[in-house]
Amino acid sequence: QVSVINTVDTSHEDMIHDAQMDYYGTRLATCSSDRSVKIFDVRNGGQILIADLRGHEGPVWQVAWAHPMYGNILASCSYDRKVIIWKEENGTWEKTYEYTGHDSSVNSVCWAPHDYGLILACGSSDGAISLLSYTGDGQWEVKKISNAHTIGCNAVSWAPAVVPGSLIEQPSGQKPNYIKRFASGGCDNLVKIWKEEDGQWKEEQKLEAHSDWVRDVAWAPSIGLPTSTIASCSQDGRVFIWTCDDASGNSWSPKLLHKFTDVVWHVSWSITANILAVSGGDNKVTLWKESVDGLWACISDVNKGQGGVSAVTEGQQNEQ
Amino acid sequence: SSSSVFVVRKDQDIYVQTLRKLFNESHGIFIGLQRSEEEFAGKSRKTQLVQVSKNYRSVIRACMEDMHQAAVSARDPALHSQYSTQVSILSAMELIWNLCEILFVEAAVAGPLLLRLLDWVRLHVCDVDNMVREVLSSENPSKHELFWNVVDVFVLQGRMDEARHLLSKEASANPTSVHMCRILDDLMKKMPVPSLGNTQTLTEMELKWQHWHEECQRYLQDRTFASNSHMESICKILLGDENAILEKKDLMTTWYHFLVTRLLYSHPTVKPMELRFYAQACMDLFLGGESSPEPLDIILMAAFEFEMHQVIKECSIALSNWWFVAHLTDLLDHCKLLQSHNLYFGSNMREFLLLEYASGLFSHHSLWQQGVDYFDHCPEYGRVYLELHIERIPLNTEQKALKVLRICEQRQMHEQVRSICKIMAMKALRNNRLGSALSWSIRAKDAAFATLISDRFLKDYCEKGCFSDLDLIDNLGPSMLLSDRLTFLGKYREFHRLYGEKRFSEAAKLLLMLMTAHIAPCSFWMTLLTDALPLLEQKEVIFSAEQTYELMRCLEDLTAGKSDKQKFQDDDVETMKVEMLRLALARNLARVIVKEGTLEGS
Repeated sequence: QVSVINTVDTSHEDMIHDAQMDYYGTRLATCSSDRSVKIFDVRNGGQILIADLRGHEGPVWQVAWAHPMYGNILASCSYDRKVIIWKEENGTWEKTYEYTGHDSSVNSVCWAPHDYGLILACGSSDGAISLLSYTGDGQWEVKKISNAHTIGCNAVSWAPAVVPGSLIEQPSGQKPNYIKRFASGGCDNLVKIWKEEDGQWKEEQKLEAHSDWVRDVAWAPSIGLPTSTIASCSQDGRVFIWTCDDASGNSWSPKLLHKFTDVVWHVSWSITANILAVSGGDNKVTLWKESVDGLWACISDVNKGQGGVSAVTEGQQNEQ
Repeated sequence: SSSSVFVVRKDQDIYVQTLRKLFNESHGIFIGLQRSEEEFAGKSRKTQLVQVSKNYRSVIRACMEDMHQAAVSARDPALHSQYSTQVSILSAMELIWNLCEILFVEAAVAGPLLLRLLDWVRLHVCDVDNMVREVLSSENPSKHELFWNVVDVFVLQGRMDEARHLLSKEASANPTSVHMCRILDDLMKKMPVPSLGNTQTLTEMELKWQHWHEECQRYLQDRTFASNSHMESICKILLGDENAILEKKDLMTTWYHFLVTRLLYSHPTVKPMELRFYAQACMDLFLGGESSPEPLDIILMAAFEFEMHQVIKECSIALSNWWFVAHLTDLLDHCKLLQSHNLYFGSNMREFLLLEYASGLFSHHSLWQQGVDYFDHCPEYGRVYLELHIERIPLNTEQKALKVLRICEQRQMHEQVRSICKIMAMKALRNNRLGSALSWSIRAKDAAFATLISDRFLKDYCEKGCFSDLDLIDNLGPSMLLSDRLTFLGKYREFHRLYGEKRFSEAAKLLLMLMTAHIAPCSFWMTLLTDALPLLEQKEVIFSAEQTYELMRCLEDLTAGKSDKQKFQDDDVETMKVEMLRLALARNLARVIVKEGTLEGS
């Protein structure tokens, strides 16, 4: 069973599109059609507004927390075509970078594994995916994948950092040769996997199964198995679990988790990838788990609120 | 409302304060079990494992006691209800565990099996305790309206001595029944029971039992007890008459009590593998189609059928926590009872449950530490689960960070160590605690960050004229080599120290070396040269001629390196500094040439 332990009244004046816990479950970032991004301290069941960030000129679709080793950094993306990176400096939150390289709404932002540095992937309705890399001293380098998805890209999600031959300990100080990958979902009903090769991003795989726009993709954390897992959800009401058994990443096979009665907006993995949270227009958040015989079962139902549940996120600790 | 965000959490018992003892103590038992060596084989090992099982059970019972006290003293009805529910759940857990201990861990054989089951029933059927107490403590027990009920209870539970004691009271109070009482008493006394020691074989016991059974039969047929329906019914019970026993349903309250009573009086040498048939039959008879089996019934039935995996599965479903199944399964695994058929993702049942349990602990602000130990004993995925969970522990205080760090270091989790140190360094820097930030980045072996912080220190020095965190910088030791900038910081501070101790020639040598060995960044050379001024103006000559030439060369390199534009931008202060330096250097050179050119003593 799952219970509500805290209700945060965000005072957003319009629909909330995303709510993300930080790494430790101590802070909550929310964003809304009211163009603002808010940050709350939610320790001990409390809710203290820490920041009300203004800067976007349209509905803000998603927020994403960077790894704490880079400081307190939050990225947001909006209908106004902008991606803004906010940073907490001397106790106050400020805009630290603004990216305006997209021609229409930016729908999704996702930070890469911290091992790669500070890199943000952004998916836009102009069909392109941008990769912003922090190079130091307030400077960001941009790489763009044009026409990643025809009509538009709705979601981006990074694969966990896995080093080939990672069983061998790298000599300290040496940067391991990571193979960077991420998944994207688009209005072309496709899930695509991108791989970086010689500094260039290439389309590695095209995963076809959905019959309508893909709304979210989530690459599951790795528990050391050679398999990779991606969850995707769509306007078509379906959630698929994609698995790839071989290390070379060649053959992905989908398994239908469930067909819901309405659009599914978001999918999100637990820390050890054993639970998947799904939220959608049917007004519910459900938790799914893979049973010992390989079938996915719904383990919990959180029925709350009026209107569709648009975002779901997993944090960890709660202070007593 | 549409502006609300809901924070949800899985209902977990770890948040119930009163269960804390359960988690803490069972953690200790768990660790002890993992570490216990299998030096003992066979019987000794079994004894050891049974003891572990008993330890777990006593922890459950202790917790039940606490919970019961809490329920009794709770004034808020909702809280009282919550505690009472918790007591029932704990009671059920102990009931199940106890049965598993008898059947699986101890693996009681025919004979002792029945005795264990009798103990089990006596321990868990408490509904009749009040009644028993009431009758026994009354003035004339045999006159009490519930007297025969209590006698029945004793008979049903095989408590012969206590039943006989009550019968004697009846005999003394009622002369007409003396004769019957004596006979019944005799039968009860003579009833053969399985022995725990090796004093008789099963066959011997069965033979004796057969004779006794026949004797009881004769008395019944002779209508010896015909005038007292109570005693006649008892005689029928002794004969294992199903209907007679079932009539006492309300005194038994559960089908498993019925089962054990039936076995006692019809098949005391029952073998473990025969239990399932009796169990199913008894449950059906007892419930009689009026009610359907509850989850607890299903679990117990699975145990009687020796379907261990079924027991675990049903318990997992019925209980709201992983505690029970994780610890029980681990114990059963140590008894080598679980087939290691691999589950879908390759891990076995024991590990699967321990991982679930331990993961749950990580969402608690202090129980997570126990979680670490559980992960340690999961050979396949324990480590990676630990890596993923430990990164999410909020590092609110330095102490907590150090605690987490120690755990990572002990397990050679280098990535996590680096990550935590970087996070702490960044945190310290954000709060302007440079010394702490530097400490952490050294520990993280983060050269880039160390350089950044060293620059901050140097900047602060230029602005304020003094260093903060001297202790730290003075004691850098070999970690100074982490980054060039850090080395410079350390050496520069050393220069200041030497100067402070008036060890001028050493200071001078160091100062020069910082420039000539390119340890100092070019941006700092002006500062260093300015630092050289007081040394040049000492009464005693400090810099040698060669050193002076070097200094001059450094100054020239510095000024030559400036573009015309920079020279134009240099304010008066800068120009004056350069002039002063040139003058001081020239004067020093003059003095040192004379000094070096002069012979000793002349």
